[in-house]
Amino acid sequence: MKSRITLFVLFSLFINLYAQAESLVVYSGRKDKFIKPVVAEFTKETGIKVLLHSGSSTSLLNKLNLEGSNSTADLFISNDAGNLEKGKEMKLFLPVSDDLVKGIPQTLRASDNSWIGLSARARVLVKNTDDKSAEFVKSVFDLADPRLKGKLAITHSGNESYIAGVTVYMESAGKEKTREWLAGMKNNVNGKVFNKHSKIVSAVAKGKRSVGLVNHYYIYRHLQKYPDAPIKIELPDQGKNDIGVAWNVAGIAITKHTKNKKAAERFIGFLTSEKGQSLFAKVNREYPAREGVAAAAEVPKAGSYKVAPVAMPVLGQQRNATLDLIEAVGMP
Amino acid sequence: MGNMTSSIHTSLISLETIKTRAPSLRGFLALLVVLIAAIPLLFVFFSSGQLSLQQWVGLWSNRLPELLWNTLSLSVLVAIGSMVLGVSAAWWITRRDFPGRRIAVWLMVLPLTIPTYVFAHIYTIMLDEDGWLGQLWLALFPATAIPEIFNIFGVTLILVLAGFSYVFLLVRDALSRSQQDIEEAARIHGATPWQVFWRVNLPMLRPAIAAGIALVVLHVLSDFGAVSMLRFQTFTLSIYLQMSSRFDYQAAAGLSLVLVLLSLTFMVLERFFRNRQRYYGSGQSKKITAQKATPLETVIIWFWLGLIATFAFLLPLAWMLSWSWQAWQQNLIDSEFWGYVGNSLTVSALAASLTVIAALPVALYHARERSKMSQGFLYLSSMGFVLPGPVIALGILSFVIATMPAIYGGMTVLALAMMVRFLPLSIQAQESVVQQLTPSIEQAARSLGANWYENLRRVIFPILKGGMATAWILVFIDTLKELPATLLLRPTGFDTLPVRIWIEASEEMLELAAPASLMLVVGTLPVLWFLMREKSDK
Repeated sequence: MKSRITLFVLFSLFINLYAQAESLVVYSGRKDKFIKPVVAEFTKETGIKVLLHSGSSTSLLNKLNLEGSNSTADLFISNDAGNLEKGKEMKLFLPVSDDLVKGIPQTLRASDNSWIGLSARARVLVKNTDDKSAEFVKSVFDLADPRLKGKLAITHSGNESYIAGVTVYMESAGKEKTREWLAGMKNNVNGKVFNKHSKIVSAVAKGKRSVGLVNHYYIYRHLQKYPDAPIKIELPDQGKNDIGVAWNVAGIAITKHTKNKKAAERFIGFLTSEKGQSLFAKVNREYPAREGVAAAAEVPKAGSYKVAPVAMPVLGQQRNATLDLIEAVGMP
Repeated sequence: MGNMTSSIHTSLISLETIKTRAPSLRGFLALLVVLIAAIPLLFVFFSSGQLSLQQWVGLWSNRLPELLWNTLSLSVLVAIGSMVLGVSAAWWITRRDFPGRRIAVWLMVLPLTIPTYVFAHIYTIMLDEDGWLGQLWLALFPATAIPEIFNIFGVTLILVLAGFSYVFLLVRDALSRSQQDIEEAARIHGATPWQVFWRVNLPMLRPAIAAGIALVVLHVLSDFGAVSMLRFQTFTLSIYLQMSSRFDYQAAAGLSLVLVLLSLTFMVLERFFRNRQRYYGSGQSKKITAQKATPLETVIIWFWLGLIATFAFLLPLAWMLSWSWQAWQQNLIDSEFWGYVGNSLTVSALAASLTVIAALPVALYHARERSKMSQGFLYLSSMGFVLPGPVIALGILSFVIATMPAIYGGMTVLALAMMVRFLPLSIQAQESVVQQLTPSIEQAARSLGANWYENLRRVIFPILKGGMATAWILVFIDTLKELPATLLLRPTGFDTLPVRIWIEASEEMLELAAPASLMLVVGTLPVLWFLMREKSDK
């Protein structure tokens, strides 16, 4: 027993040493499957090793905040602009130069470049093509219509994308309208919400629900698996006076206490290059943030439809207000 | 660090004023352990102290009534469910000799290898319309709705299945040690077997049942996995959400403080009921032997145990196997995967050893002193259990960074957090054995001229060995399954199986979540085997 314990202690010391070996450390809130191929390509091109530390964006941001100057992280990746802006507010990031990221539109990065959007996703409607009862839905605000009672699929209100979407609607249509909208949807779902976006798509495909509110790529992911599924994407709020589709971005930031600033900048340079952009966004059928880089062919072209004019940093600035609103309505 | 040493001094002074003799080594070590265990509590006090009165009022009126109700009713339901399953299974298995008895023991313990978040994840999928149970339900009761799992009963089901084994283990331990003469005396005086159970066995089992239920309820209070997957608003989930979606550490700490008070109340009550009676058997009375089961009894026993085993282990196992097979076929099980297995085993073994050693002085100190101070030590060392994992991790992280940043980022910090988290588990397990160490045994050794070291080595340790092994195993298993604190404190890039399961499950990669879950089960098997062998040796 004793020798076994000694062995474990020695082994753990070894692990300690191993973990301290030098490399670029990325705190990644993005799905492993989507970030790994990009990282592999970067290492191949530059020879710089990257150690991925995956987790949820918010808990990694917490970690970064608490670790302060002891953090090993050089970069932080999040799937949600809200988190990135929050990190900026907490002064956790190191702004990068305009030159490095000039390919990325200004609305998709922080005002001081302390974080940079890499790929965007759209909040869209998924409809069952055999079911005509949701045909009238042209705007997300139609989802509050009592005709959809028992026919609407939404995620629970803890979902990052859901919260970000509500922020956009709140900013574009006002607090009161959004409050009424939430109350109407609450009535329509009657306590039954979904814990995953993919389940919304599959519920709509099976005809258990008529319409759902999801990120666009979930629809294509389902169609890839079940090409004959009776579902279609619909871009909401495209009328003349409508607010447009809500967008959110995944992005990256250099941490304030990095000791590898040069390498970290190279990583951002790679991710914002045409090649990096294409790699980063396409694996998940998202929109590359860089103008001129095409998204996956099946996705509605960026620029071909109206997007709600809400700058991404607002998603962080208004997050607590959004949570207050959601809680006040008592969304499940 | 200055604060820390000065508080050690203050505590030592108070220790000396209470006890007239100088503090024993045991007491000093116990104090040291307790101080480490109290770090997260200090963090909670410190952070919640920054809340304004207005913020407290806000918390009180908006959130607390619902959270209190949810958390309390969930605890009661899970306690009842675990007691029914745990005591019934332990009773049949120790008192009846039936075919497959050893397998039955295994089946009752194996659910411990499945974490609550895996249970929740698997049951959510199985209860889908195209899931195994969903389809079965629709075949049996067409035109009815499949029962919903996202409510208090769903969460209760998951937590009972994941936790009843603790009650089973402790009650079985007590039953197999219980002595026959009292039961025989009752029977001679004309009591029916049922009366013997209610009036002799049950009261004698009370400490074990209480310890088992305490374990289960403490798991409920601090559970993060099931409630977050099933989105049932308990204190733990609400605290986590305050931290993670609002970065509001102070509100999180405020809620944690209420949770601590709630748990303390519960522990005081539990101790109160447990301490009202203690039983010391005489050394010579004979141990109980199991009666041969009649064929009818065998059928009933196996029906009941089989039912429990199916839902608590076999069904989840079958699910894991079936998805792992898919992963295997897709060549998804690579060297990286085996790395996660190695990481998990390493950190669990390290944490279990550390925790068992740390728990010993506290358990011994309390067994000997039985003073207000030793009782206080016990409560303080239980903090790791009543505080939610994310809060413990936050507390340890803040403390280590403030006092000894050099060790931050390594395995040591992670193991330390696991120790703080699972210390009460280890103390509980060792204490129920320490209670067996009747004062007369040690006095006998002393009177025969054994010094303290000899006493420890030749008397105390052999008696405690079983309890220490049980404690080691319980901590090993819990660390193997631990998620929230590991997520925050693991060294950079150091992924364990739970971390992977959590990542893959949130990405809905069933093919990847399943083999990792399966590995948790497999990784625990040798340890369980050791535990079972220990028991049958006795």
